Amino acid sequence: MNREGRLSGADVGAAAIGWAVRAWRSTRADRAAPRKEQPKVSQQHAVIEVELPSGDTVSVIRRRFCGGPGPRVAVVAGIRGDAPEGIRVAHELVTFLNAAEPRLRGTVDIYPCANPLAAHRGVPRWPFFDSDLNRLFPGDDGGHPPERVAYALTQDVLGADQVVEVRGARAAFSEVPQAHVRPGEAVATERAMAMNVAVVWQRTPGPAAPSTFAHQFDGAIVLEGGTGNRLTPGVGKDLTDGILNMLATMGVLAEADLPFHWASLQRPVRVTDEHVARVRSNRGGLFLPAGATWKKVSAGEELGRVVDPTSGEVREVVESPSAGRLLAIRELPVVFPGTVVARVVNL
Amino acid sequence: MTVVFSLEAPYRRAYELHRLTFGSGGPVVAIVAGLHGNELNSMHAVNLLASALQVQRPQGTVHLFPLVNTFGGDEGVKRWPFDDRDLNRAFPGDPAGTSVERIAAAVLAHSEADVCVDVHSGAPHVRELPQVRAPMSGRELELARAMGLPVVWRRTGERLDATGLVGAWRQAGRHALHVVGGRGITLDTEHSGTLARGLNRLLSSLGLTPPIGPGETVADVTRGEIETHRAPCGGFFVPEVRVGARVKPGHLLGYMQIPIGGDRIGEVRAASSGVVMTVRAWPMVHAAELLVRVAATG
Repeated sequence: MNREGRLSGADVGAAAIGWAVRAWRSTRADRAAPRKEQPKVSQQHAVIEVELPSGDTVSVIRRRFCGGPGPRVAVVAGIRGDAPEGIRVAHELVTFLNAAEPRLRGTVDIYPCANPLAAHRGVPRWPFFDSDLNRLFPGDDGGHPPERVAYALTQDVLGADQVVEVRGARAAFSEVPQAHVRPGEAVATERAMAMNVAVVWQRTPGPAAPSTFAHQFDGAIVLEGGTGNRLTPGVGKDLTDGILNMLATMGVLAEADLPFHWASLQRPVRVTDEHVARVRSNRGGLFLPAGATWKKVSAGEELGRVVDPTSGEVREVVESPSAGRLLAIRELPVVFPGTVVARVVNL
Repeated sequence: MTVVFSLEAPYRRAYELHRLTFGSGGPVVAIVAGLHGNELNSMHAVNLLASALQVQRPQGTVHLFPLVNTFGGDEGVKRWPFDDRDLNRAFPGDPAGTSVERIAAAVLAHSEADVCVDVHSGAPHVRELPQVRAPMSGRELELARAMGLPVVWRRTGERLDATGLVGAWRQAGRHALHVVGGRGITLDTEHSGTLARGLNRLLSSLGLTPPIGPGETVADVTRGEIETHRAPCGGFFVPEVRVGARVKPGHLLGYMQIPIGGDRIGEVRAASSGVVMTVRAWPMVHAAELLVRVAATG
């Protein structure tokens, strides 16, 4: 027994257990083996395979597209299981890169879903442990499964020249496509400006940032947009095109290979924290929004109202603190006092 | 009982933070339970203490918060149900912030005291022998030992994270302790009683209440003195001991079996003499998950 916490082989009769476990796993593997040989997916790699108590396993997969020499770009999706937009973008990229791989000048690693069990259920956290994977980085090689996943993912992505995390929107919100970078990261900001989003937000990291995936990598870009736990028409294509365009600006992809003309892309607005206002409700009830994302608003304009859930009586009219556009609007109506109901970007 | 904070809620009456205060003057002790809505032992222990204090009339002030997360308690869940946030990760809170931040700020503001205790049950998948977790030395360790709980666990960097209540109290310069007993989502009256007596001993050591009988601390340990057994693989763990059991080297603590078919794939045995302080209660385990902790007793 290792008194620091690891069960050594001697304590449990390692040889016997090892034999029994191998026999058990191989029995399961035999049963699961396909009758026909499956086509080989050469660039598919399991970053980590997590054993489940039932004997099943679940893997975090990396798809690597490797052309000639050049930069390595990592695109990670599905760190939370309720962000299917990011997973869709990852699969759109895989489809495109499957055809474009021979012409790549560099390497693109796509991690379509870092939290497969949560995605299976459409919930944000890793099930059973109920752990928010995006609060466990850089992870722990000797910890629980989600901690080991965080560790393995971090180690696998390390060394990439550009890291992009693709999310959807926060669970209760609709958000315009936007890129988040850290203040002072000029290269990341310029790349984000090429990513076909409405806004590039140079956002100061909050208290929880050190435990997030993106914070582990200098210059990481976080893409958000759409509606929480939903696919939103157009958003997936916008973000996919944005990533492809960024690959072109880095020279990984030839401009001629882009499936669109660069002139068709959006020109983002670059903002800092001081341009973005969080608008909160002061009352509890149902928040009924008055406008959709990216709507122009003037100072004092109604963003929505909080009504009594039973009588329908208006408890509060929520107003925009400044002129600008709606960066995000709450679409799940139940609110408490202090709940964020909108973000307004002051242009 | 006083409502020290309230928050308008949709579809139901306002959330209310209740505080019971016994006695007056100093010293002042604050005891908080039920930050997590599914930790029933912590709530019951504080309510048992409240019953005792109605008779004892403390020479000083004792503030009790038996159930902070009433909405989580109503639904049998750990977190604040509205946005599924952990109240014990929302400190020091913000009076103008989100609902959990407002509640956290209110708990911190209304628990101002010389000595503060945050009482919890164990996680739902493990059962813990009642224990107090304290720093490696100093006044808080003295206070922890005065509780006479079965286990005193001295931990480096214990609860310095200011997003938790104990860390926030310490950041505010207060002496703070973290107490755990039993298992989440389960009421264990014996463990609750042990926790309540430990809290009463703490008050007694501070001169607030009359002396009561000594406790029985069976292990006063650091991490290096705790034998931790983890699962060598995923499977179904069947415990053969209960928390509080005394074991010797070679004692069978439990065994792992295959969940489908039940073939035994290994045994877990104690390597040293000690007392069992943690036992896995939910048998489906992943590789490397905690099965049993044994606190060495020499």
